[in-house]
Amino acid sequence: MSGFVDLYTASGTILHRMDPRVKIVSVVFLSLLAIIITELVYLLILAAALAGLIFIGRASLSKTLIALRYVLRVMVLIIILWPFFDPHGTPVLFEFGLIKITLPGILGGLETAVRVFCLAVVWYILMFTTSQGDLVRALVKMGLRFDFGLSLSISLRFLPTFTATVESIKDAQRARGMELDKGSLKKRAMNYVSVLVPTIIMALKTADTLSLALQSRAYGARADRTYLRELWMRPVDYLALCISIAIFAIPATAKYIFSVPL
Amino acid sequence: MLVVMSSASMESRTADGEARPRPAKFVSPKTVALYAVLTVLATAITMTLVIPLPNRGYFNVGDSMVFFAAFAFGWRAGMICGGIGSAAADLLLGYGFFAPITLVAKGTEGFVSGVLGGAWKNATWAKVLGIWAGGICMVTTYFVAEWIFFGLGYALFELPWNAGQVLIGGLIGLSLAQAVAVYRGTSSRAV
Repeated sequence: MSGFVDLYTASGTILHRMDPRVKIVSVVFLSLLAIIITELVYLLILAAALAGLIFIGRASLSKTLIALRYVLRVMVLIIILWPFFDPHGTPVLFEFGLIKITLPGILGGLETAVRVFCLAVVWYILMFTTSQGDLVRALVKMGLRFDFGLSLSISLRFLPTFTATVESIKDAQRARGMELDKGSLKKRAMNYVSVLVPTIIMALKTADTLSLALQSRAYGARADRTYLRELWMRPVDYLALCISIAIFAIPATAKYIFSVPL
Repeated sequence: MLVVMSSASMESRTADGEARPRPAKFVSPKTVALYAVLTVLATAITMTLVIPLPNRGYFNVGDSMVFFAAFAFGWRAGMICGGIGSAAADLLLGYGFFAPITLVAKGTEGFVSGVLGGAWKNATWAKVLGIWAGGICMVTTYFVAEWIFFGLGYALFELPWNAGQVLIGGLIGLSLAQAVAVYRGTSSRAV
C-alpha cells in the first residue's frame, strides 16, 4: 500500500488556482453529464476531454495510475460481467442455455465502463487540484456550519498521524508474536482487535486533549467569526462556473427536450 | 445602593460597558473532538487495515469502526462518523464518485445499528441484531447503487464480498465495543 494519504499535488495550474467552490459545483455537473449520456461515442469524447484536463492539471502519470487502480479493476469486471445480464438486441454472438451474449450487450458494458472511468476521473481531478484545507473552506463558505467544518478539518489533519499509529501498533503486536497472515479468516479478524483496541484508546485520549485545546482557544466564543484565509471569486472563476453549467445544461436540454440521441 | 451581581456570562455588557459579543451556538468541543477522532479512525482503518483472502480479493475492516462508533457512542456518532469517515476513505483511495453512495450506505448502517444496539440496556443480543439490520441496510444500498451504476452482473458479484465484510466488521466491532467499555468503566463485566 503506497504511503500517501493525500491525492493533492501542489502546482500553479489554472485548475489549481480555481475557486474550490467552483470546482465542487463543476464536479457535480460533470458527474451528472456522465450519467445522462448513454451513447458510447459521446462518452469516449467526454473521457478524452477529462484526460485532457488531467494533462492541464499536470498530474504525474504514475500517481494517476496508482490513484485509479481500483477503478480500472472495476471497469474490467464490468466489461466481463455485463453481457451475461444484458441479452437484448441483435446480433446474438453466443448462446448456450440461459446465457445469451449479444453485441448490444457488450456495447452496454463498454458504455458503463467508460462512464465509470469518466466519473472516477472527474472526482480525481477535484482531489488532486484542491488541498484538503481548501475543500473544507469551500464547504463552510457554501453553508456547512463552522463546527462541522472544524471537525472535518481536524479529521483530515490527523489522518496521517493515525495511519502511522495503526502501522506502528501492527508492528508492535507482530513483535509480540501476532501473525496477521496466517490462520483462519476468523482468527485473522480477531488479530485485528489486538491492533484496534490500543489505536482506539490512543484516539480517545487524543480526543480529550483536543477538546481542552479547543476550549483554551475560545472555541465558540463569538458567533461572528472571522477567518484567516478567505475565498474570493475572481471573474475567471465566474466564467468557469458558467462554462460548467453550460456543459451540462446544453446536452441535457438537447437530450430531454429535443430528443437528440445522446 | 444595592448592586445585583448576575453571572458574568449572562450580562450583555462587560465591566467597561461595551456590548459583549454573542457566543456561537456550536456543539460542545468534546463532541467536535470526539466526532473528529471517530471519523479519522474510520477513514484510517478503512484505508490501511485490509484482510487479504486466500484467493485474489480482500476485505476492509472499516465496518468495524462504524459499528464501534454506533455501539460505544450512540447512533448519531455511528451515522455521522461512520458515514463521513468511510466516504472520505473512498475519496482518498481513488473512487471518489462512490463517496456519496458510501455515505448513505455506511450512514444508514451506523444509524440502524446504533438505534438497535442501544436499546434494551445495551444487551449483547441487541447489538448482534443491530449488526444484522445495519449490515442489511449497507449491503442493500451498495447492491442497488452498483446495479444502477455498474450493472446487475457486477452488483451480484460484489454481493458476497460486501456481506462478508459486514460479518467480519460486525464481529470485530462488537469485540471492540466490549473491550473499550471495560477500559472506560462503563461495562458491567468485572475487569
